[in-house]
Amino acid sequence: MSDRVYEILFIADPNLGEPEVDALTEQIQGYVEKEGGRLQKVEKWGKKRLAYNIRKHSEGYYVLLVAEGKPALVKEVERRIRVTDGVVKFITVRVDEELRKAESRKAQRAKEEAKRKSHGRPPSSPVEGEEVSL
Amino acid sequence: MSSFGGGSRGGRGGAAGKGAGARGAQKDAGKRYFFRRRKVCKFCADKIDYVDYKDVKLLSAFVPERGKVLPRRMFGTCAEHQRKLTLAIKRARNIALLPFAAD
Repeated sequence: MSDRVYEILFIADPNLGEPEVDALTEQIQGYVEKEGGRLQKVEKWGKKRLAYNIRKHSEGYYVLLVAEGKPALVKEVERRIRVTDGVVKFITVRVDEELRKAESRKAQRAKEEAKRKSHGRPPSSPVEGEEVSL
Repeated sequence: MSSFGGGSRGGRGGAAGKGAGARGAQKDAGKRYFFRRRKVCKFCADKIDYVDYKDVKLLSAFVPERGKVLPRRMFGTCAEHQRKLTLAIKRARNIALLPFAAD
């Protein structure tokens, strides 16, 4: 079975400085790599306002990691994040299936588009004709 | 409501009933028939296949200030995209990108 793709989005404590957030991010990247995960993307969104207060914080640094790995990877990484200081909240979402579906949908659409162009006429016209005759 | 609603439906569906159906439809069109702009699912129109929970800009267009998920009839989203939208909103709430309930 092929590996799955997960997005790990976490909020770092806003009282940390920029370098400390970087260090924290690296620490969590380390967790992922140690469990055999491959990082696809690391994205820092910077300091953002939270929609509601979490542990009395009203803002936080958002960092997004996209990693590929086995289900056990998530279990271990989540456990480690939970005991890491400086992480206010995190979420892990499996995205590979959804993205694959979206991709195939897109391909399907492109195919239909090409077909319509080659035939010249959209398939809806015969239905309209029937209605008029009634 | 029942008598009038039934009448208008009869006018439309009763096209097979020839003359009577046509007359009924005409009467209705003048008085009660109310044209509402037909809403089209934004996700279908824009060909968005994956509703991303991280896209706050997109999601907030479908969530009022208070943070509630609104029914489909409000935005005209299709059933499939409404399901995806709801899930995305819930994920976004979890990570404080959207509010659960603002006060």
